[in-house]
Formats: sequence, structure tokens, C-alpha cells
Amino acid sequence: MATSTYLSNPTVTVNSVALTGFATAATLTRTNTAQDTTVFGNTARVYSATIEDNELTVSLYMTYGASETYATLATLVGTATTVVVKPTSSATSATNPAFTLTNTYLETLPVLNATLGEISSIDITFRGGTYTAATS
Amino acid sequence: MSKYTIVSELVGTPGEEFVPDEGINIDALIWGGFIKSDNKAPKSAKTEPTEENQ
Repeated sequence: MATSTYLSNPTVTVNSVALTGFATAATLTRTNTAQDTTVFGNTARVYSATIEDNELTVSLYMTYGASETYATLATLVGTATTVVVKPTSSATSATNPAFTLTNTYLETLPVLNATLGEISSIDITFRGGTYTAATS
Repeated sequence: MSKYTIVSELVGTPGEEFVPDEGINIDALIWGGFIKSDNKAPKSAKTEPTEENQ
């Protein structure tokens, strides 16, 4: 049984804009692409690290109000920016690290995602960027 | 050096100076109305009247 659990309630900051109040899901995946370096004589596959290929996916309510979701993201498409996510809104610490992707690229933005009778939401993905985890 | 003022509370305290971290897209923040630039447009150079342009 887990000894430490927490109710998902992360903070999400995109290009210095706090989008926590619009976000419903966030997944930051740190990946270091593996290169197969297996050679004759090995009895099991051997992999070595190459370069990082990190990714942040965020689900947001799509709003077009002043200084809201669309205003934050519209001009970021095709550019690199900095995003920060934290497990909770508490101060950054070893138990609440601030995960940052610097120079991460926003390739696509669904500018409209509408369904009859539903609140509009979008999923966006920031690709690449340098990963850091601050604890203070 | 360019200076910026916070407009939206989603970026910080409105009225305070905005100091961008590494990798922040300033143009996107200005376009979205989150901050404003404090830089004034440069004035055109004054030219002293001479015999030729009088």
C-alpha cells in the first residue's frame, strides 16, 4: 500500500502565465532516448542514453476571453517557450518540486474544439526542451 | 534594456515590473495583454535649420 499519496491538483504555468485555473490534466514525461549498443558476446540487449526528448501534455478549457487560454497560446504556435508544472500550489521544495521545460516547442494548437452541449477543451503538447526539477 | 509591467494577475501582481525568465516569449505575452512594454518609441532626430533646408 502506498505510504504517500496526493490528490492531483498541480499548478501549470505556460510562458509565465498561470493556467492552473483552466487546466484539468497535465502529464510531463521525461525521456532519454535509448540507443541499442548490444554487441557480440552479450546475452541480453544493452541500451545507452543518447539525448533527452521530453514532453508535456496539458488539457485545458478553451476560452477566448481577454488574457485567457487562447490569448496565452495563439502566438506560441511554432515557437519555443518555458513551461513549469508542480504537484501542488505549495512552495517549491523537495516534496513539491517545480518541473520545468525550457525552450520547449509548441507544434500545434487546436484553435477550436467544439461539441454540442459540452464545454470546449483542448489538449496541447510541448515537445523537447531542457528538463530541470527545482527543489527550492 | 527593455522593461515591462505586469497587466494580468495570471502573470503576477499587476503594476509590478515583469522580469522574464529564460526562454519566455515576450511578444506572446504582450500580444495576449498579459504585460505591457514600458519602452517609449524613439524620437526622430531633430535637424538644425541650415541654409539648404530653409
